[in-house]
Amino acid sequence: MARHRAAYLLCALGLFVSSLFGLLIPWMTRAAIDGISAPDGRDRIVRAIGWMLVFAAFHGGFRYLSRRGLLATARRVEMRLRRDIFSHVVRLPLSFFGNTPTGDVMSRLTNDVSAIWLFLGPGFLTLIGTVISYVLALAFMVRISVTLTLVSLALAPLVVFLSRGYGKAFHRLHRKVQETLAAMNATLQENITGIRLVKAYGLEEAEERRFAGNCRDYYTHNVSVSRTSAAFHGAIGFVAGTGVALVLFLGSRLVIRGTLTLGGFVAFNAYLAMLAFPTMALGWVINLFERGGSAMGRINEFLGLPAEPRADDIRRPPGGVPQAWIPGDEGRNLSKPGPGRAGGEGPDQLHDGEAEEAREPVRAFLAVRDLSFSYDGEGRGEALRGVSFDVARGEVVGLVGPTGCGKSTLLSLILRFYPAPPGTIFLGGREIDSIPLDALRRSVAWVGQDPFLFSDTVLSNIAYGLPEPDPVEARRAASHARILSEIEDMPEGFLTVIGERGISLSGGQKQRATLARALCAGGELLLLDDALSSVDSETEREIFDELLSTRAGRTVLFSTHRMAALSRCDRIIVMDGGRIAEQGTHDELLSHRGVYFDLYSRQMLSRELEDAS
Amino acid sequence: MSDGGELYFHEDHVATQGLDLALLRRLMAYLRPHKGLIALALVGLVLGTACQLAGPYVVKIVIDRHVTPRVLPGMWGWIALYLLALAGGMGFLYLQMFSVSVLGQRVILAIRREMFTRLERLPVSFFDRTPTGRLMTRLTSDVEALQELISSGLVSTVGDAAVLVGTASILLWMNARLALVVFAVLPVLVVFVELLKGFIRDANREMRRKLARLAAFLQEHVTGIAVVKAFVREADADRRFDAHNSEYGAVSIRLTNFYSVYFPGVELLASVAVALLLWRGGIGVLSGALTFGTLVAFLEYAQKFYNPIKDMSDKYNILQSALVACERIFHILDTEESPEYSVPAVQHVTAQPPPVFPTAEIREAQGAPHASGSATAQRTPSSVASGVRESQGVPNSSGSGTPAVEFRDVWFSYKERGEPVLRGVSFVVREGEMGAIVGATGAGKTTILSLLCRLYEISRGQILLFGRDIRAIPREELRGAVSLVLQEPFLFPGTIRENVAAGGPAVEAAVAAAEVAAFAGAWEGGLDTEVGERGGRLSVGQRQLVAFARALAREPRLLVLDEATSSVDPVTEHAIRKALDNIIAGRTSLVVAHRLSTVLSADRIIVMHKGKVRETGTHRELMEAGGIYHRLYTLQFEGRPAVPPGRQDRGYPAAF
Repeated sequence: MARHRAAYLLCALGLFVSSLFGLLIPWMTRAAIDGISAPDGRDRIVRAIGWMLVFAAFHGGFRYLSRRGLLATARRVEMRLRRDIFSHVVRLPLSFFGNTPTGDVMSRLTNDVSAIWLFLGPGFLTLIGTVISYVLALAFMVRISVTLTLVSLALAPLVVFLSRGYGKAFHRLHRKVQETLAAMNATLQENITGIRLVKAYGLEEAEERRFAGNCRDYYTHNVSVSRTSAAFHGAIGFVAGTGVALVLFLGSRLVIRGTLTLGGFVAFNAYLAMLAFPTMALGWVINLFERGGSAMGRINEFLGLPAEPRADDIRRPPGGVPQAWIPGDEGRNLSKPGPGRAGGEGPDQLHDGEAEEAREPVRAFLAVRDLSFSYDGEGRGEALRGVSFDVARGEVVGLVGPTGCGKSTLLSLILRFYPAPPGTIFLGGREIDSIPLDALRRSVAWVGQDPFLFSDTVLSNIAYGLPEPDPVEARRAASHARILSEIEDMPEGFLTVIGERGISLSGGQKQRATLARALCAGGELLLLDDALSSVDSETEREIFDELLSTRAGRTVLFSTHRMAALSRCDRIIVMDGGRIAEQGTHDELLSHRGVYFDLYSRQMLSRELEDAS
Repeated sequence: MSDGGELYFHEDHVATQGLDLALLRRLMAYLRPHKGLIALALVGLVLGTACQLAGPYVVKIVIDRHVTPRVLPGMWGWIALYLLALAGGMGFLYLQMFSVSVLGQRVILAIRREMFTRLERLPVSFFDRTPTGRLMTRLTSDVEALQELISSGLVSTVGDAAVLVGTASILLWMNARLALVVFAVLPVLVVFVELLKGFIRDANREMRRKLARLAAFLQEHVTGIAVVKAFVREADADRRFDAHNSEYGAVSIRLTNFYSVYFPGVELLASVAVALLLWRGGIGVLSGALTFGTLVAFLEYAQKFYNPIKDMSDKYNILQSALVACERIFHILDTEESPEYSVPAVQHVTAQPPPVFPTAEIREAQGAPHASGSATAQRTPSSVASGVRESQGVPNSSGSGTPAVEFRDVWFSYKERGEPVLRGVSFVVREGEMGAIVGATGAGKTTILSLLCRLYEISRGQILLFGRDIRAIPREELRGAVSLVLQEPFLFPGTIRENVAAGGPAVEAAVAAAEVAAFAGAWEGGLDTEVGERGGRLSVGQRQLVAFARALAREPRLLVLDEATSSVDPVTEHAIRKALDNIIAGRTSLVVAHRLSTVLSADRIIVMHKGKVRETGTHRELMEAGGIYHRLYTLQFEGRPAVPPGRQDRGYPAAF
């Protein structure tokens, strides 16, 4: 920042020098014109013109340098600011993204940052230029004629008064324009999202009338803006012109009386003209400053939000000895399904910390203890109510239950996407809050409900969790996720670009790709959040076979709506309304004839129907 | 898809071939209705420019007649003339600026309205495949860009052009040789501007492309933030963002550098022109070939001449991006309307509709009356109806009324050549009946409702509404007769009353029947309470009730309802139940049913599976048949206490 301040100072100095040379140009005009009536006219004219060209060149040169320096500095500040915001935003908790529309995040990182650049770059440039021109031009003008300077300054209050009045009126009118614009856009948005309703009710004409009303309002306010703006331009032009007329009249008298030379008179007019632009631009600069200020305010709102804790910022287990995360001792580590993960030397293994065993009675690999949770501020009531269960290392546990029963919430809490109450979730015998966030997340491989892929190559997507894309690992993961042959059939195999800028995948392909991504990243605990819903049941069966045969110490917790997949897992947890309704193996639950039995029979029936059709 | 996010997504394609004449011609067509304004603008422009250019000439006269010969008397008159020219100039400037901007606003108004009208008539499938964000961009930013061009670009460009031409003529008239001196720099300036213009345009385009990339990256990472976090890739995201950010920064710095050369360069050249003028002019005055006044006037005119050239490249840029926007706007205007809007609107509804589909089969069906009045005013002999029914292989059922809704072997898929969602669906719902469609998710239930409202065109088969093919029914009539309640109740901003009134005139009765009055009555504003954006101030259940009322307000002949699956609190649940009973009673309706009680109250149940009708009949018939429905039903009740119909509604919605 200090570097930038120095750059700004240097540029301001450059602008000063440049303005000085710029103001010397009319001075030379004066010399040339006055030279005409002198005896050695020709020489004086040529000399004055020579100097004029030199000054013009210096003016241009300095202006170029300082302008370039100032604007580039402003761009660098903008770049850095944008990077800082992104870096911060990407570390904000998931709840932030749930509550903030994407458009809002985007607009702060694009429009608001640009507003700051406009204020730091062109805004500052104009401001510095204006101040310097004013001071210097007035000095030159006083040097030519004090009377004329005073006369022309007499009109300045009027210009300021007009500009201020216009600025206020413009502000007020412009806000109306913005409001009507917002109303118009809201109607548009409503109509696009509610188009089915509009059509179904034959509301087209009514909506057209409503939109036409919006457009009309917008039009009316815009016309008043242009009326004001045209009037202002007319008025300011008239005032400025009156100034010129006054100077013309008084100046001519002074020249006739011999107290002013003709050259001085012409130069004075040139200086007066030079001041006209900065005076009018002042309103624009003030506007830029206001906008920049409010943009900074909005950005600071984001920067002020607390980010997720970084590796060195661990919540201490209550009452326990503060203990940093210690990388697992190699002997105790179970074989790892994937290669080293991102941030290689970091702690990537969980261990059953013996130190805690004495204190914590939790022995299971994953333990959930009386977990209740509600998404704060969303008023949905409790998402989870008193959920408790254990998962042993290497166990494969299925989660079922109707939509909204809390399965996804449970899985996101394990990843600490949302903060679980203290003392409710334990992994490897440790409370998850006491595990550094990155270590926790590296030991868990998660596949979400919504198969999100980046618009990048298949390889980068599947190897996303690895520090460097590893084609061999990606291949293996793709094969386990049963998508290898389809990738190989793509035009460029693993290097095919998918998504927005490439080929689009089917829902099932996307899901298998996200599964491959999770398998490739490794992690001892695999969480599948209804991750195979679009994959056909035959393929799903194959994938589960593969998972079960190669699990090699991997613990799997998966939620699903497909009952067929559940019969193969070690244990099934049935959830309903945020609680655990039943727990047990497939056979136990069937014989229990409860919720699970219901769900199962229903699905078997539709399987039959499927086979019949 | 989030709103506005998409806005930054697509990289814009700037037409490389400069100005597109066809596009300009089409744009000009919008100016035609405003001849008066154009005339006004032209008058203002010509007179305003003339007055403006008169100033320096008056200065010349003052210098030559008064200052140089040192004569004071009579100068007053010239000064007064100067002020008069000034006042006139500013008055005309006002006239010109104002009329041109009004002109621009009117053109934009027309384009905006035309675009909206087209939008409302585009097929629903268009909205399915075009992200909301992208559409919004077309309708907002692109139109804004065009407005920018027309309102400010046009005003200044036209003014500048007039000043340029006017100044050049005066200079040539005053002293042609000295004028050529002023113009001497022009070729260099033109080359300089042309040279940089290319660089600036390319850098601008490059910058936009980089910005679009950056925005796309950003959008992707915001949407996929859970993945970034789950895989602990924040640092990697930082690094990659930094790369995009630096690329953007580098191009933007390059662009500002070009501008840093451009502006001082143009200024320098203007100074050179002044220097040349002073040199030749000064010598001219010395030799007596030129007066002092002429030289001073020339200096002022030269200033006026070079000023507009300064921001020429900026204006060119605005023009180009506006034309790109324009192209995209016209693209929407050229997208074809949905076919139902081409059915000629029929003002009066006749008892005997005109024969539209002259096939034997349909001629039979045309016997069915289509009276807008009482639903049971005339009845087709049931033999005709049953004949049709049997020929279509619709399972027999107990109804004997006129067919209100009839699907005949309907095939449909959302995408062209896509997987069919409906595969030969046939069924009949008679007047006064309530038909319930049941089946698993993805069976095609909701599709049936959309097709009935003709939101999509079917690929094969026929849909008859009160005996007429829906493709032959004018849109207004079709939509006046059918009321649709969507699963997700969509409310417009405004009051409850306004939302209900959007459906039709019978607001009071509708509000009472749909149990809206019950909850709204407890509020201070009553029916005039604002519902907020997307009905946000109402609970889900209340929104549903308002949607019911809206559907009832038009007193439809047929009510089409997609029962909501979302669970609500028991009180609202009860209100919905009651409202539903009120609504359906004595009305022809087709309901996609998720609640068992709704199914039980149906006169005819249509069991869908995988796009096919598997069974139809009443509850009793279907139970006796012992098919799918029987099994679904028994499953629902097995091992549970018997619950009277109307109470058992919180089962597992996915099944029904």
